[in-house]
Amino acid sequence: MVEEQKEAKPKKRMTATQAAASITAMVKEFFKEALQARAEGKQKLAYTFIVCHHEEILRAMDVIPLWTENFAGVCGAKRDAERFLQRAESLGLSRSLCTYALCGIGFDQWREELGEMPPNAPWGGMVRPDFMISSGQILCDPRSKWYQASQQFMPDVPIYNIDLPYPLFQRDRDHREVWDYYHKYIVKQLRGLVTFLEEQTGKKMDYDRLRELVDLSDRTWNLIDETYSLRKAIPCPMGTGDAMNTMVPINFMMATQKAYDFFLNLKKELEEKIARGEGEVENEKYRLMWGGGLPAWFALNDFNYFNSKGASFPVETTYRMVAPLDQMDLPETKDPIEHLAWRWLGFWTFWYDKAKKRPGSEPDVEHLINWIEEYKIDGVVMHEAFSCRTWHVGLIWQLNQLAKIYKPIPVFVMGKDGKKEKVYKELPSLILESDIIDITSYSEVDTRSKIDAFIETLESIRLNKAA
Amino acid sequence: MELYFAGIDVGSSMTKAVILNNGIMASLIGPTGPEQRRLANKVMEEVLRRAGIPFEIITYIVSTGYGRINVPFADKQFTEITCHAKGITSLFPKARTIIDIGGQDVKGIKLDGTGKIVDFVMNDKCAAGSGRFIEVIADTLGVALNQVGELAIGSKNPVMISNICTIWAQQEVAANLAQGVPISDLLAGVHRSLADRIIRMVHRIKVEEAVVVTGGGGKNIGLLKALSEQLGIEILVPEEPLITGALGAALLGKEIVEKAKANHLPLKIKERILEEIEIL
Repeated sequence: MVEEQKEAKPKKRMTATQAAASITAMVKEFFKEALQARAEGKQKLAYTFIVCHHEEILRAMDVIPLWTENFAGVCGAKRDAERFLQRAESLGLSRSLCTYALCGIGFDQWREELGEMPPNAPWGGMVRPDFMISSGQILCDPRSKWYQASQQFMPDVPIYNIDLPYPLFQRDRDHREVWDYYHKYIVKQLRGLVTFLEEQTGKKMDYDRLRELVDLSDRTWNLIDETYSLRKAIPCPMGTGDAMNTMVPINFMMATQKAYDFFLNLKKELEEKIARGEGEVENEKYRLMWGGGLPAWFALNDFNYFNSKGASFPVETTYRMVAPLDQMDLPETKDPIEHLAWRWLGFWTFWYDKAKKRPGSEPDVEHLINWIEEYKIDGVVMHEAFSCRTWHVGLIWQLNQLAKIYKPIPVFVMGKDGKKEKVYKELPSLILESDIIDITSYSEVDTRSKIDAFIETLESIRLNKAA
Repeated sequence: MELYFAGIDVGSSMTKAVILNNGIMASLIGPTGPEQRRLANKVMEEVLRRAGIPFEIITYIVSTGYGRINVPFADKQFTEITCHAKGITSLFPKARTIIDIGGQDVKGIKLDGTGKIVDFVMNDKCAAGSGRFIEVIADTLGVALNQVGELAIGSKNPVMISNICTIWAQQEVAANLAQGVPISDLLAGVHRSLADRIIRMVHRIKVEEAVVVTGGGGKNIGLLKALSEQLGIEILVPEEPLITGALGAALLGKEIVEKAKANHLPLKIKERILEEIEIL
């Protein structure tokens, strides 16, 4: 087994904003803090997943979350995931499984075998947790299976699994008819988490503190939405390349003042850039949407390549895991746990009502259509990461649905004034293929050849429109 | 003054060049090879010799293909997608789907019926589904590459090749051969398997008639038959399917020059020096 082989170090990606450039240091800090906490033994550490709406609970109990997906992403971005993937393969796990999970399992097995961090572990490595909080299967199956596999090497580390469902979209049914039931269930799941954490930490939950943290998160949600909406400006002041950095405070730092302050600063920076007319790209020619799929963490420089062709990315669906709370119409409650459950339901059903109003639409497609229009998008780029089944299947379907609306022929649109207008609602798309962290699936030459061809297509559409 | 346009397509297996004025004056197809990769100048010298014109009088040069950046004297580069679309549309104006079967990859290009690209798809991860697959199998069977297609269409009982990996398919073919399966049946099975993989990929762009096959795969009658049968439609093939990318490149050069003239814009061209690339 090849264990020590490291891949070529990636070139540092150029960011458009200072805020995005500051993220690396922040992530390094997480790892340093975790290592320190482990050494001091005062705080409990928990493996866990993003998008569970449980950060407030963890932080209120002084539990330090160890974001296992984040660690795998760091390994990928540093092009140092292969040795952990190979470890997992040597345990009999197929490379076609989620490579985040494989990387984490491979790392855990190695750390537990050595009784210390594997040699040259990225940014000091992932510390041994006191417990693991997995999160059901509605987003993807590794979110419950991964920690079960890792528990083989850490049998003394308990797992608590929170199941967070939401009602699936049905055109002929109002989801509010059933969401009280879902709410009750999620509240029980979250209260179960509180009980588990109280047992593990030996502390009682401080509900006043939890309420404060939930309020801080809610304010951060709204602030993020306001900040990202600034990217509608032409030229766009910040692209998806940067958003793959600024996803860190959204997904790993919620319920902290640091996250709120980060977005205050980013908002200010974007407002200043807009005032100066400064875009992500010097001469913005095309506005693209990152329409889905996790990024290839080892190839974030591809965003710079797009930029070099005059293409900016004002919006992405990936990792923008917030929505404006004032548009959710959530039931009022003073109980922070109940609010978290409502917020979860509000977030996942956010596009349901709008989708019902458009014949043939679905929430995942409605989401794209709205942003394509709002952000004045010329084309959609998606990434099929082979090992991420959750996204993979839906991407092609989403593009097929979009193609029913955005046709490569002129269509007549009836304006509000009753006049018919001939418009081109053409929207070319590009699917990039590789993986989240498995660099063996990636060819820079081929990827860039695809990007070149896509840019040529955009250019030809532009010239045709002009003609 | 007479205008001349050159298109040069440096592919992974073959390098192709076309000289154009009012029609194709000359074309050239030669192996790319490890050494030739840096010798686009030699290809250009040879095609110019065939056209009977000196390099200095070429009005505009466009390069394309995987090695397009290795053509230092090209005035502009375009991807193979754009060049194939242009080249094929000039030959088949009603083409809606192009399947380019190259030595190392396969591309599907969807057109809107006026030559405009609507969508494209590329297989760049695996030899399975490309010309290389046939080369490996031909080698295993000891059959010359230019004979595999003819042999395949003579089959009455094609075998099923189930492995999608080139290497495993090679073993499967060898095992069948050892059991006495006729070569023509094996080749027919191999072509069906290859056609199946190509179709699965290009279905993503929704195949519509007229379908044109280009690239080296367009020269393989066994593969064309399998594609036509499995798609259930007629397949069109250019007279010389290898040069459509280079032809498209030359035509794009012509368009650029015509547009610049029509709009009274200066034309940016490189100094006409034919030399090999230095970076390799």
